[in-house]
Amino acid sequence: MRGRAAFVVALAFLAVATWASAALAGQSAPSLPNRDPATGLADSAALRATVFGTPPQDIATLPETVPLQEINIALPWARQIPEVFWFDRRLRVWFSAQEKPAPLAIVISGVGSDGNTANLKVLRAVLYGAGYHVLTMPSPTFPGFIVAASSTGVAGDLIQDGRDLYASMQEIISHLPKHADITDVDILGYSLGGANAAVVKSIADAGGKLKIHRAVMINPPVSLFASVARLDELFALSIGSGDAGVERLYRRLYARLANLFRTTAEVQIDESNMLASVAAVLKSDADFSAAIALTFRIALMNMFFAGDLYARTGVVVDPANPPHVGDSLEETARILRDKPFADYFAEVFAPYYLAHRANSTVESLKADNRLDIIASALRANPDYFGQTNNDDVILDRTELAWLRTTLGGRLAVYDHGGHLGNLGDRIQVADMLDMLAGRWQAVKQ
Amino acid sequence: MRAAHCAVLATAALSACATQNLSIRNLPAETPAADNAEAVENAAALAAVESAVTQNNTAQERDRGVIPLTMADAPSMYSYDPWERINRFTYRFNARFDDAILLPVADQYRRIPRPIRSGVHNFFANLDEVKTVVNYALQLHPAAGAHSLGRFVINSTIGIGGLFDVAGKFHLKREPTGFSATLAGWGRHPGPYLVIPLLGPATLRDGVGLLGDYGVSYVIDLARLYRGYQAWALEVVDAVDQRANIGFRYYATGSPFEYETVRFLYVHRELIEDAALHATEHPPGHDPNEPAGR
Repeated sequence: MRGRAAFVVALAFLAVATWASAALAGQSAPSLPNRDPATGLADSAALRATVFGTPPQDIATLPETVPLQEINIALPWARQIPEVFWFDRRLRVWFSAQEKPAPLAIVISGVGSDGNTANLKVLRAVLYGAGYHVLTMPSPTFPGFIVAASSTGVAGDLIQDGRDLYASMQEIISHLPKHADITDVDILGYSLGGANAAVVKSIADAGGKLKIHRAVMINPPVSLFASVARLDELFALSIGSGDAGVERLYRRLYARLANLFRTTAEVQIDESNMLASVAAVLKSDADFSAAIALTFRIALMNMFFAGDLYARTGVVVDPANPPHVGDSLEETARILRDKPFADYFAEVFAPYYLAHRANSTVESLKADNRLDIIASALRANPDYFGQTNNDDVILDRTELAWLRTTLGGRLAVYDHGGHLGNLGDRIQVADMLDMLAGRWQAVKQ
Repeated sequence: MRAAHCAVLATAALSACATQNLSIRNLPAETPAADNAEAVENAAALAAVESAVTQNNTAQERDRGVIPLTMADAPSMYSYDPWERINRFTYRFNARFDDAILLPVADQYRRIPRPIRSGVHNFFANLDEVKTVVNYALQLHPAAGAHSLGRFVINSTIGIGGLFDVAGKFHLKREPTGFSATLAGWGRHPGPYLVIPLLGPATLRDGVGLLGDYGVSYVIDLARLYRGYQAWALEVVDAVDQRANIGFRYYATGSPFEYETVRFLYVHRELIEDAALHATEHPPGHDPNEPAGR
């Protein structure tokens, strides 16, 4: 046990990766229409904000302490758990309870992320500080959700994911600790989670048992597939396709990191030099873009693997002989690393939904993944709100304009922040709390 | 007999955990205000480091004879893991053990007031200085050895048996090393990836290093702590204290590729540390088809 320092340091290193991906979590693609003509990549400040997030000095006032419970729940409709996903049997969510009766805020994570990301911690803190019980949930595209809570196993469909989320919320709320007295329920989400939140509210409004009062979307996509298609292009642009592209990126980052430690004469990688390490490897717009593209690709690999396994489409997982605990997945990972979202759509998503959704076509499946599907509710119902940035890299001009006309006075647009690069700052938080309390319009208009 | 009891208890706990449909784990309260204040400080420190690295170090390090690495010097992306099958089963065992036993105990431990926990943590860190001093001697780093010896003497006396890190207050920072680093200094490669039961990711060299370090502690047997029942108690408290100070959670990624991810990060981190240890030497050539660490 005395020599376990190596283990501790390894975990710290893993935390670097987790931190880096948490900082990046939830974004979709930098939008090509906004790109810098010199580099072919998105606007530099927006990329930087997207990668590094809100500077800590700009974060809103946070409470001293926030109580926290981790809830692991097996859902009654869960399907048989494949052996490789033995650890995802129960859905894991996080709950912070007020001591007195209070409204509940449910917050949904961004693409591929769990229910306890850095962004969610900030939102949890400000919401708890403002007097809400807070329940934070993973994205329906997070493997832990796909395995424990999805009724299809094939993630990425706004309506289906919304139904699974809504059913899970009902189940979780019925099992919350007795002392949590809930007076009202509001819902929020960031990035893809924003779109998920709005769809869940529309499902609740259509006659669900659990009533949801207000919904706030933070940096939502307008068209999931359009944003993701841009990301595929970004990956090709900043990393390149095939093993050679990833290999080149890896070698570049390895050499930089090794040289940092060679020149600073520090011989142990630990928490104290973690930030410096991340900053040392990510320097240029191309690096930022590669980091964003790669983070998303890693999320997609998980989604692809799970979808292929459940839909029995046989792209990387043989349905007749799925992998076991002792089997290496290195080769599978290598193949998936090179597969863009377009392949997921064509090889797993579309075959599954075309077979399971009556009268669907490839075009209808794509259309089902636009916020358009709840456009009339967004337009007419005064309880939907949105927050986005003028330089949000996941939206193009048309999509931003669509949000403006659809939400009208219930959309706040900030000048800078890229994608989620101002989440938790004083203005975003103040507006978000005003929106949730139903007093935002009164203040702004 | 004792071992049999432990085994039964562990199995019961593991299977109970595996079948429960709902569990609510009370976590220690989050402290967002303090965490953010720390992040502000870290950001300022990072800015300082960045400017230092870009301005001063380059010239200084040239004098020291550091040879910069190029992309071609990077080892393979793939890690050497000939014992993968057993490693994967051990990884799963560790995850289950952590979830069912170690983590719940660490949660309880974190309810103990912070000053007491710091005392425990400092106590173990101080004991660690013994093998650190021995290893710096083996690495022929007398200055670093004297530094750690100084820390040990100050903390063991003024710091009341190591409960207080008095040396730290005098800017004598803790600089631990171990036998694995000594072996690295002697030119030993990490070797095969190895998941050690209960401890987690390592390489063969780390495993040998661990045994070496424990051997040193055992032979010196400071204050007779390393023989008999107190040795067991000591190891258990140390393990719980370590666990309570690590934010890692098995399978927080939810990903089927977590084993591959952890292995990649662990092995390549170790290779980067090795590269830093031999900063003035030309990097060894890597066969691109040979997995890293071999």
